[in-house]
This record gives sequence, structure tokens and C-alpha cells, in this order.
Amino acid sequence: MNAPAGKPRLELSAVSKTFEGTRVLHDVSMRIAPGEVHALMGQNGSGKSTLIKILAGFYKADPGAGVVVDGRPRTLGDPEDIHQAGVRFVHQDLGLVPALSVVDNLALGHGYTTGFGARIAWRRQREAAAAALSAVGHELDVRRTVDELHPVERTAVAIARALQSARGEMSVLVLDEPTATMSKSDVRRLLSIINAVRRQGVGVLYVSHHLEEIFEIADRVSVLVDGHRVATERCSDLDLRSLVDLMTGGVVDAPERPKLEPKSAPGERLLSLEKLNGAEIAGLDLHVGSGEIVGVAGIAGSGREELCSLIFGTRPREGRVTVRGRELPGARPDKAFALGLALVPANRLRDGLVAGLNVRENMNLTTVRWLVRHGRIHPGEDRRQAAKIGTRVSLKAPSLEAPIETLSGGNQQKVVLGKCLQTDPGVLLLDEPTQGVDVVAKAEIHHLIDTAASQGAAVLVCSSDETELERLCDRVIVLRYGRVVTEFRGAGIQSRRLVRSSLGLDSEKDTEGAAGNDL
Amino acid sequence: MTSSSRTSKLPTGNATPTPSPPRTKSAGLLTSLRLDTYSGLYLAVILVLVFTVLLPDTFGTASNARVIASSASISGILTLGVAVSMAAGMFDISLAANMTFSIGLLGALLTKTDLPWPVAVLLTVAAGALIGMVNAAIIIRLGVQPIVATLGMSSVLAAGVFWVADGKSALLDKVPASFTDAGTATIATIPITVYYLAAVALVLWFVLEHTPFGRYLYAVGSNAQAAKLAGVKVVRVQAISLMIAGTLAAVAGVVLTMQLGSASFGAGAAYLLPAFAATFLGSTQVIPGRFNVRGTIVALYLLAIAVKGLELQLPDLPWIKDLVEGLVLIVAVGITARAIRQRGTR
Repeated sequence: MNAPAGKPRLELSAVSKTFEGTRVLHDVSMRIAPGEVHALMGQNGSGKSTLIKILAGFYKADPGAGVVVDGRPRTLGDPEDIHQAGVRFVHQDLGLVPALSVVDNLALGHGYTTGFGARIAWRRQREAAAAALSAVGHELDVRRTVDELHPVERTAVAIARALQSARGEMSVLVLDEPTATMSKSDVRRLLSIINAVRRQGVGVLYVSHHLEEIFEIADRVSVLVDGHRVATERCSDLDLRSLVDLMTGGVVDAPERPKLEPKSAPGERLLSLEKLNGAEIAGLDLHVGSGEIVGVAGIAGSGREELCSLIFGTRPREGRVTVRGRELPGARPDKAFALGLALVPANRLRDGLVAGLNVRENMNLTTVRWLVRHGRIHPGEDRRQAAKIGTRVSLKAPSLEAPIETLSGGNQQKVVLGKCLQTDPGVLLLDEPTQGVDVVAKAEIHHLIDTAASQGAAVLVCSSDETELERLCDRVIVLRYGRVVTEFRGAGIQSRRLVRSSLGLDSEKDTEGAAGNDL
Repeated sequence: MTSSSRTSKLPTGNATPTPSPPRTKSAGLLTSLRLDTYSGLYLAVILVLVFTVLLPDTFGTASNARVIASSASISGILTLGVAVSMAAGMFDISLAANMTFSIGLLGALLTKTDLPWPVAVLLTVAAGALIGMVNAAIIIRLGVQPIVATLGMSSVLAAGVFWVADGKSALLDKVPASFTDAGTATIATIPITVYYLAAVALVLWFVLEHTPFGRYLYAVGSNAQAAKLAGVKVVRVQAISLMIAGTLAAVAGVVLTMQLGSASFGAGAAYLLPAFAATFLGSTQVIPGRFNVRGTIVALYLLAIAVKGLELQLPDLPWIKDLVEGLVLIVAVGITARAIRQRGTR
């Protein structure tokens, strides 16, 4: 790999960010040289996406941060100024319009070429589109609509559009998790596209979870751990193992697992999945017993993200889901509660909370039927029940009547969890239970999960936070391409192993670890 | 009412490590007047006073008050139907067409058949509910957007009423006087239609604010996905809300027919815009951000008073009603949209 040379295209200096008193980025600085592909790595919650969002101007950094593009200082937090400087972003969702053709998608960013009478000159437009795509070294029929394209072709269109919109003045291209949903052969093609971009002198900031491709494409890599940049190394000086060590370094070696007591065996089977199939999950069998906390690890696209919704029945599925021996039909979340199944969904604002209802009404939404006395909701019972569960989950809210949006992320999550706990569920499904939650609330939520399990609930935790799984679980399964690749138990659950196994590394060693040996 | 004491603190108990600091909101005069939630009520009172002073002979009379109250009752019943459907997030613009259809159907039943009028009324109301059910089936089963589905339904109903009523109004001179009495009588000097509205409002207020169904309705209207994941039968709630709305549209049509003593062809259309204006204005009152019964009633009468007063004050401007109602609709929706935006950026 060639060493970065020349005046840097992008320099970030002393970027910090504090959310509600929690500092998520600490003085992060980095520079990207012309033609360099610079990888940004880190586990979930390490601050990668916060850093990208600050650069894009979605968030304002704490005072003291600075950005310089091509030697000229720019205003951090001003999307216009950054755009002007030629910095372009291709986010994971790509921002394309699926129903429109490639030509239209490219023209949306750039404007249409019109002929006589303001009629769109389609032939010239098509030629321009094809030229834009060939600039990223890609050829495809530009008349096809985007939803007919392969994931990699869509990414090519998004990158071509970014390049075209900068009118040849692109300084930096930021790619945020571009390969999350791609197959291996697609990744190859994407890497050749990125090479075509870098040859034009553009600096590329590449964010990804997939370690292998980093070594194929990146010149240097910066690693974030808990908001600190712990290293910036040339890829040629690293190997897979040392990179994983950097990413998990310092945090993993202090597992605090206040296990209530070493259980000999989990109790009766409360949740059983048989030959479960979904969009990503393929033929999953899993049983969770009473009092057991089972974790599910896996990178984006491994099936981890859809598992909870598949079980709960909000996504189409095949296979059997049984709770206490009774089958749960698909697409009937209302039946799920009757069987004693409760879900804390990953996206609390979209799926967990109702913004139009206040704290009390959200807390009691599922159980409000039980509060009816003489044909009406008993106002006293309504308040008492909400207050009781609020105390149980240590909710901090201005009032039970406060709008739900006035609560912090952690307290909103406690409302979602409290709503589920009220149903006294036999099986608790938790999807990213502490995502976007501050450290204190996280610890409290973990404690609540422990307590629920110790009272006999079967708990399934899907999480992209491996340290969380280490902290909570009696057993962790690791998903990759929709299948279970490894299973860890007890002391064998270590976040470093979970990360390695999720990425498909060292599977033999991991299996040893699963048997309880230490590395 | 009982459930909405906004100042109540969360009883944090001793398990909470850091109890929230008590909110130091000074209970000044403005706060105790509850201007934020009852501004419409105050405005209505002010308007009544102003117009009474300006127009003591036309506006400030008992008979004028009766006219306002009685005509607002009919649009009020329809408006509550709109509010119920909007609370569930269902934009039902076929309600006015439903009302028109009900009037035509009732006229046909009373003139072309020998059914006793209470039976004809019941059939008409049932037809209104059925139309709501059909709307629900189209929206939920076929996945058509509510506004599109009900726009189409409006046109279908317009065709239907032409067929049923032969495209003309029906004089109900052979119907027993008890029928028109049921729309024109007064009880304790108050028009009977006001009692109808009060009864409908009372029932809906109870259902919306004091039963699980009301809670589900608001949850579905605000975030159907989260409501579904909380175990709410979203589809059923949406269907019932559309049925209630359809029923109320038919009731409004029946009461109007009773009051006029004739089945006036196409009479429902004029009620569409004021109903939506009052519904949206109502969502800024009493329980801001929610389509609620008390707020809707406040908005309904505020609008009726303002329009009537302006019409009497400015008799040369026949378009003043349309102007005011249109502006109110736009401003009320603007206020709601802004409140939602501010909530989102917090």
C-alpha cells in the first residue's frame, strides 16, 4: 500500500461530543490524504456514526473542534459549507428513489438537460448518466429502475451521483457501511469502484464492520474505542488479529458478571423456535428455558436484526414459534401478549413509543384493559399502576403526565421496558435493549433484565453490543449469514470472541472457547 | 377531567436514586386561566360580547342564540364523526357525502315506502355505519390510502343518492308531525337538536377519554406500528372508528331532515369544510395535540359564533363564511403541524 502523501484533503481536529452529559467522543482528530482510503473502525457505540454525523452537519460538535478541507478551514456543523467544500456522503440507505430509473436518480442530484420547449433531452441525459457511471468504472443499463438493481449496482449509482454532484471537485467521499447487505462477489466489485474514485485524487473515509475488506482496500485505519481514537495505523502494519485487539482493547478484559447464582440448568422450555425462516434467518432452531438469558450476536445483515420481529410475528416468517408449548401464529402481535410474550423493539421512537400519548398512557398501553372498573378506566388505578411500574424501572420523569418526548433516551427505554414487564411476560424479547442509552440507565436496564430472568422469565437478547451480551447472558449464539456459527456458554462468553466469531474469524478457536477453555 | 391533572408529580418512591427536582412553574394568573388549553372558550365569550354590543338587535337576541345553537348541533354531530376518524388517523372525507346520501335515503324511505319513520331512521343510520365499514374494508384490506379511498367513496355516494332520490329534494308532507317535532321542538327553550349533540358528545367523550378503546384509538392514530407491537388490534380499532364516523354522518343527516321537514338534495356537502375546520381547531383546545371531544365542541361553537356574527355585521359579503372557515382550517392545521415539528426537534 502506498504511503499517504501530499497535502491532506480532510483534517478533523479535536472533535468531541456530549449528549445529555455523556461524552461520546473525546478529542478525535484524523487526516485523510489525496487518493487515500482511510478506514474508520470501531464496535457499535464507539462513536463512528456520531463522528460521521458531525462531519455531515447533522450534529454540532462540542466547542473547540475544527475541520479543514484542502487547506481551507470550514465550519463544522454547517452542512452547506461542507457540501461546498466537496465532501460527499453515501449513507447505508443510499438515498436513491427506488421507483425511478438510474437516469432519473442521477439527474435528481444534478438537474435535467433540456432541449426545445424545456423538454428533457433523454438521449443526452442517458449519455450523461452512462458517463457518470463509467467515471466510477461501472456499466449498466441506465434505463432500469433502481429497485431492479443489485445492491452493489445501487451503491455504484449512489457513488456516481455523489461524484457527479461535486462537478469534478470532490474532495472527500464518506462511505458509511456500504457493504452491510452485500455478498462477497459484490464487495469485490464495490472495491474496484472505490479504486476508480481514489485514482481521481479523492480522499475516501470508509466505515465498515467487515474486517477482511479493510485489508484489501484501505491504506490506513483509525480505530475508535468508547469515543477515543486509540490508533491510526497503516493496514500493512496490521493483521486481522491485531486489528481486533485494537477494537476490543482495554474494555473486554474486565468482565463483571454479577451472576445471581450459578444455575445448574435452565428451567422448563418457555420459548421454542423450530426451522424459523425469514428474509435473512435460515432454518434457525433455538430453545430458551425459564430463568435463562440467551444472547444473539451478529453483524448487520446476519439475521440478528430481524430475529425478534420474526418471533413476535411482525415480519413474515416460516417455521414454528411456540411459547410454553402453545403455537404463536404469524402476524398476530396481539396474540403474542396473551401467550406471555413481550417485545422491546430496537427502534423505540418508531416501534416502542406512541408520541401522541403521555408517559402514563404509554406505560399502560398494553394493560389498560385490566384497569377497567364499572365500564371505564379507573383513573386512580391507571395512575397507581403507572407509578408502580415507574418506581420498579427507576423512571426519572418530570411527571407521569409529561409528553413522552420530554424524557431522555434512557428513560424512554425504561417506559418501553416497563410496559412489557407489566404484562408479566413468561418470555421477554429484547432487541437492542440499551441502544442510545446513557451508561447509568444502561446499568439499570441490565439489572432489570437480570431480575426478570431470576423471577423465571425466559429472556432473548439480540444486541450489536458484545459487551452487553457478555454482561447479561448465560448463553450466546452467534449468527452469520442467517445461521448459527457458534454458541458460547458461561465464562466462555467474552466480547472479543463474540466479535471474532461474528466476523467469521477463528471459528475453531472459538469452539474451544465455547467449551470453556481460555485462549 | 379526573385523569388529566397535569401537575401531579410522579410518586418516585424510595427506589429511585435521584428523584426529579420539583418543577418550579409559577402559578401566575395566566397559568390559572389555562390560556394554553382554553383560549378558544375565552375567544368565544369575547366574540359574543363584541357582537352583542355591535349588533344588539340582530346578534344579541335569544332567537339568534337558538339559531346558532341549533345549526351548530347538526354540523357538530358530523364534526364529532370527523374527530373520531381523525383520532384514529383515518382521513375520511366521504362523511359529508355520507350525510347527503343518508338524507336522500331517508327521504326515499319516507316517501316511497310505508315504513314507520322510526324504522326508516334506524335503517338510514345503519346504512351510514355500513358505508363506514365499506370504507374500512377498502382502506385496510386493499391498502388504499384513507383520503383516496374516501374521495372515491364520496363520488360513489353522490351517484348513489342521485339514484335513490331521483336527484331532487323530497317534501315530507305526509310524514307524521312527530317526525318534524323531533327536529324542531324545544325543551326548556333550548332546541332539541342541542340535546342530540350533547348526548353524542357525552358518549364520545366517555369512550375516548375513559375507555381502553379511546386509548387505543389515540395510540393507533399517533403511531400504528408501536400500537400494534403493544398488542393493540390496530385494524379493528381503525374499522370501528370509521363505522362510528359513518354512523354519526347519517345521524347528522337524519337530524337535518327532521329539522327542515324535507329531504334536501345535496345538503351535506356544505358541512364538509366547517367540520374539518372545527375538528382541527378543536385539536388545539382543551387537550392540545389530540382530536378531543371537548376541544371540538369549543371550536365548533367558536366558529359558529364568529361566522354568524360576521355574516350579520357584514351582510354585503356573502362569501365571509367560506373565507373564515377556510382560513381557520389552514391556521389550525398550521398550528398543529408546528407543534408536532417542535416536539420532534426537542
